[in-house]
Amino acid sequence: MGSLSFAFPFAELEVGQHLYWEFGNFRLHGQVFMTSWIVIGALLALVVVGTRKMERDPRGVQNLLEFLWDYIRDLARTQIGEKAYRDWMPFIGTLFLFIFVSNWGGALVPWKLIHLPSGELGAPTADINTTVALALLVSLSYFYAGLSRKGLRYFEYYVHPTPIMLPFKIVEDFTKPLSLSFRLFGNILADELVVAVLVFLVPLVLPIPVMFLGLFTSAIQALIFATLAAYYIGEAVEEHH
Amino acid sequence: MTFLSIFATGGFGLNLNLFETNIINLTVVIFGLYKFLPNFLGSMLERRRASILVDLDDAEERLSKATQALADAQKELAAAEQKAVQIRSDCKARAEAIRLESEKRTVEEMARIKQGAVSDLNSEAARVSSDLRREAAKLAIEKALLSLPSKLDSDTQAKFLNQAIKEMGEA
Repeated sequence: MGSLSFAFPFAELEVGQHLYWEFGNFRLHGQVFMTSWIVIGALLALVVVGTRKMERDPRGVQNLLEFLWDYIRDLARTQIGEKAYRDWMPFIGTLFLFIFVSNWGGALVPWKLIHLPSGELGAPTADINTTVALALLVSLSYFYAGLSRKGLRYFEYYVHPTPIMLPFKIVEDFTKPLSLSFRLFGNILADELVVAVLVFLVPLVLPIPVMFLGLFTSAIQALIFATLAAYYIGEAVEEHH
Repeated sequence: MTFLSIFATGGFGLNLNLFETNIINLTVVIFGLYKFLPNFLGSMLERRRASILVDLDDAEERLSKATQALADAQKELAAAEQKAVQIRSDCKARAEAIRLESEKRTVEEMARIKQGAVSDLNSEAARVSSDLRREAAKLAIEKALLSLPSKLDSDTQAKFLNQAIKEMGEA
């Protein structure tokens, strides 16, 4: 990605700048790792704090975590089905919480207070590498789910209900991770860019509604990603008769 | 830009530019969320907590009821067991009594039968010995009658007659 840089009296706008970490032959986007670790750490801290002293009367963080658990369970159960959802609930829940906290963290934490040598901190999900990794995990998961549950009969799904579906189903295996990753990446990056451009043009007041809208779409994107992942897994484990 | 360049160049650092960091808008958004979220999420969580507490109370009530019912049932079971034990001991006593009674009756019956058998045997023995005696007499007469014709020839008859006459003469 080429880099663009605009400078105005009030603010600066950069796109495509990264903090590269050389790692063997790889050039890692360091700022994504940093924010990912912060998000993971925040989630772990929340879960550890919320489950350390569990009581029968759910209060505070424990109540919030139980509420989230209920929410994720309902999501997984409706998409995957009563039989298999228990195996996949942790995966779906991890996806949902990681993406949700990444998106909201990217939108709410004043990352730009921290200045990096190159690039800037933001939502990990605004980087295509993160979303592609997540989407490929989903692909692996639904293949594994189908194969482990149905063995080679999983491939009946490709000719269900008629063999004419075969090419479409094969193409779907490629379009599923593609659409998953690009949808999330595009939405979050677009949200960040819209806010950045608006701040760049009109520094005060005008970005606020757009930021609220961004929070809304961020939450929706997390929900969509988790729901679709669960739906794909559910499709793979579904029994055809 | 001159102000920025102090921070924006070089390595890691803090960027305190108010506009570039969008900090004012972020503060407003976070404050809005802080005002709005606790009302929305908090009421939802509170409703959830209340319903859970109601469920727990219900479950506890059902538990106490079930415990009460269990205790009652156990009491009944104990009473029934006691009754069963009593019935069993009654039965044993009755069985013992019946056994003794029947034993006594059997012994008496056996004595009676023995008595009857002895008297039967005696009368039978008497009858058999009289029968035997009669049979022996009959056999002796038959034997005598059988041997009589061979022994009774004319000599013997004459001797017999002579003896009889002699005896008559002597008389």
